[in-house]
Amino acid sequence: MENLKLNETPIRTARNFNINNIKLENIELPEVIQDFKNLKITGNDLKIDINSRKSNCNLSYGLGDILTNQINEKSNCNLKIMVDKKENKETLIEFNFDEKNEGLIDNVEITANEESSATIIIKYNSKSIQKCYHNGIIKTIAHKNSNIKIILVNLLSTISNNFISIENQLEESSKVNYTIVDFGGKNSITNYYSNLVGDYSENIVDTVYLGKENQLFDLNYITELKGKNANVNMEIQGALKDNAIKHFKGTIDFKKGSKKSKGNENEFCFLLSDKAKSLGLPMLLCSEEDVEGNHASSARKNWRKRIILYYE
Amino acid sequence: MKKSNIEEINRNIYDIKNKDEYDFKIKKGLTAEIINEISNQKNDPDWMREFRLKALDVYNQLELPSWGPDISELNMNEIATYVRPKSKLNSSWEDVPEDIKNTFDKLGIPEAEKTSLAGVGAQYDSEVVYHSMKEDLIKQGVIYTDMETAVREYPDLVKEHFMKCVPVYDHKFVALHGAVWSGGSFVYVPKNVKVDIPLQSYFRLNSPESGQFEHTLIIVDEGASLHFIEGCSAPKYNKVNLHAGCVELYVKDNAYLRYSTIENWSKNMLNLNTKKAIVGKNAGMDWVSGSFGSKISMLYPMSILNGEGAKTEYTGISFAGKGQNLDNGFKVVHNAKNTSSVVNAKSISKNGGVCTYRSLVRINENAKNSKCTVSCESLMLDDISRSDTIPTNEIKTDEVEFSHEAKIGKISDKTIFYLMSRGISEEDAKAMIVRGFAYPISKELPVEYAVEMNNLINLELEGAIG
Repeated sequence: MENLKLNETPIRTARNFNINNIKLENIELPEVIQDFKNLKITGNDLKIDINSRKSNCNLSYGLGDILTNQINEKSNCNLKIMVDKKENKETLIEFNFDEKNEGLIDNVEITANEESSATIIIKYNSKSIQKCYHNGIIKTIAHKNSNIKIILVNLLSTISNNFISIENQLEESSKVNYTIVDFGGKNSITNYYSNLVGDYSENIVDTVYLGKENQLFDLNYITELKGKNANVNMEIQGALKDNAIKHFKGTIDFKKGSKKSKGNENEFCFLLSDKAKSLGLPMLLCSEEDVEGNHASSARKNWRKRIILYYE
Repeated sequence: MKKSNIEEINRNIYDIKNKDEYDFKIKKGLTAEIINEISNQKNDPDWMREFRLKALDVYNQLELPSWGPDISELNMNEIATYVRPKSKLNSSWEDVPEDIKNTFDKLGIPEAEKTSLAGVGAQYDSEVVYHSMKEDLIKQGVIYTDMETAVREYPDLVKEHFMKCVPVYDHKFVALHGAVWSGGSFVYVPKNVKVDIPLQSYFRLNSPESGQFEHTLIIVDEGASLHFIEGCSAPKYNKVNLHAGCVELYVKDNAYLRYSTIENWSKNMLNLNTKKAIVGKNAGMDWVSGSFGSKISMLYPMSILNGEGAKTEYTGISFAGKGQNLDNGFKVVHNAKNTSSVVNAKSISKNGGVCTYRSLVRINENAKNSKCTVSCESLMLDDISRSDTIPTNEIKTDEVEFSHEAKIGKISDKTIFYLMSRGISEEDAKAMIVRGFAYPISKELPVEYAVEMNNLINLELEGAIG
């Protein structure tokens, strides 16, 4: 059992605001983990290299050294996905947890070559009574003029631990579009980082979360705009009922040289219970004059009737 | 001749530097011996001496903040925490020593007292040198005096409220304040008394390598109202000066308090000030803040809405130029039903200045049917400056309406082009836009102070634009 301090924000704020990081107590980190075999890939004609060897991954941010090292030392499923130049592909990758596949430590590397495009759906699925452990990395390099859509679906049980680190590198005129559906896990902790180095690069992140019982979501989304005319758009929406807690930490960081870039961040949380709690830290950091940055966050009462349908 | 560089500009009235003359200056550093000596010099009652020593213990236990601007250059062994000027407390400007009086004259304080204030307190270094209030307010039972007099003459009232709203454990510089506080103002407005004309306290730090730690304690009793204005400035020295004041505001049920500040500390000042208000049932607390000076500022006024139906508004602007790092913002805790808050924060960065808006909105479980609206706008005047927005929003109830908006950007090229097409120079067009940007704040101030704020904006803009 480990006590973990994870998901540090790129800039700290006051300690007593309790949002600079997340502390989890008594987390069971599997020592020995078997190969993950219940992997299903459909609609695939992408080049995917699957192996269970140790990976060697460096992250700019990530969730923290303990979990990153675990992936480097103990990963049991590594995927290398290559989208060739001018290809246009779609694929669904399903990790189905069961009694024989309770732990997944995965490293997914996606390379989108010039002018390629692809839609990749990655789904983590388990039975509702099964306690699973997932710690993964998805790292994407989008070369010039590529267009990658990734749909990430977390449907693990609400007694599982789900840790995921996402990192994107966007070159000139590339597009990375993430849709994250975050429903599962007792603790679902996400670190998302996009490095928009290329001029005219574009990153869109749409996230929906639904929290119930004692679920905890800690979402730390960091985007750094470095190229000119880069564009970031984040939409984070969700609902919390029972004792669920959501932390959203969103950073749009306009670095020097990101002239004419735009960044928008929009968060909307429906609270469906007095015991649910929403904590937000939508940051705009700016060291370039000629940019446009906006963020908005809100919470509203009386949305119960509309949102209850999603749970049922 | 138009000055083209900010360094060339004389900050005129704010930079008046009197000879460093004093009646007593404590040796630099922060030890129990020094705290005892401050207590001796101030003839503290025993409870206050014990309080100071306890606060020193807390100071030694607490760590420096691990966030915000770098304040590692602050060395308390290089700061004198108590400087008693060569003046006692006076109730007539004629009795104030000439050099001190001249300083306040040039700052316009006696003139403002005649024309637009109901009372004035003027602090020079560590002690208040002038305090006065109109007779009719005295007759209505309003108390407006320096803190030392309040400790002596109203001990029960002071003991009940002193550092209860802002406890010494809040953070390291509150603990420091508790140990070395000196000067400041005490105001008590009795039940149902409306003070229609503002009171003002002005804090001037003249002595180099020293600190100012004034304590302001205001109690606005049930159904009463008050507008209190705080001003502060200091001449610039080469070494660091420190301001760690503390403002505690109690706004009782159905009362109203407006607290306005125009802060223009010199650009060698570390301004680590703490301000907090506890707001009662159906009471209102409004903050108006203009932050122009200081090398580093960490200032986050706070309203705690404890009474049902309590309201608060924060309207603030920060203007950071070369060498300045202004980390300002606002904190509000909704702690009862039907409470509401409105935050309107603006910042301008130029010539390499850094502005950060840092905030907290906390809406607790018991704050059903509460509303909070936050708007935050940042303007960058060049590409060597920096502007950050770091808001924390914590919502713990479903029956709430909360919205937060922030924008960051530069002056619109189209707007400048439009104004230039009307025959206005580019420089004037930009200045006009900046003044318009600041207008929502200046309009909240009494006209004399709005003029002062606009003058400060003009002063800051000279050489920054064009």
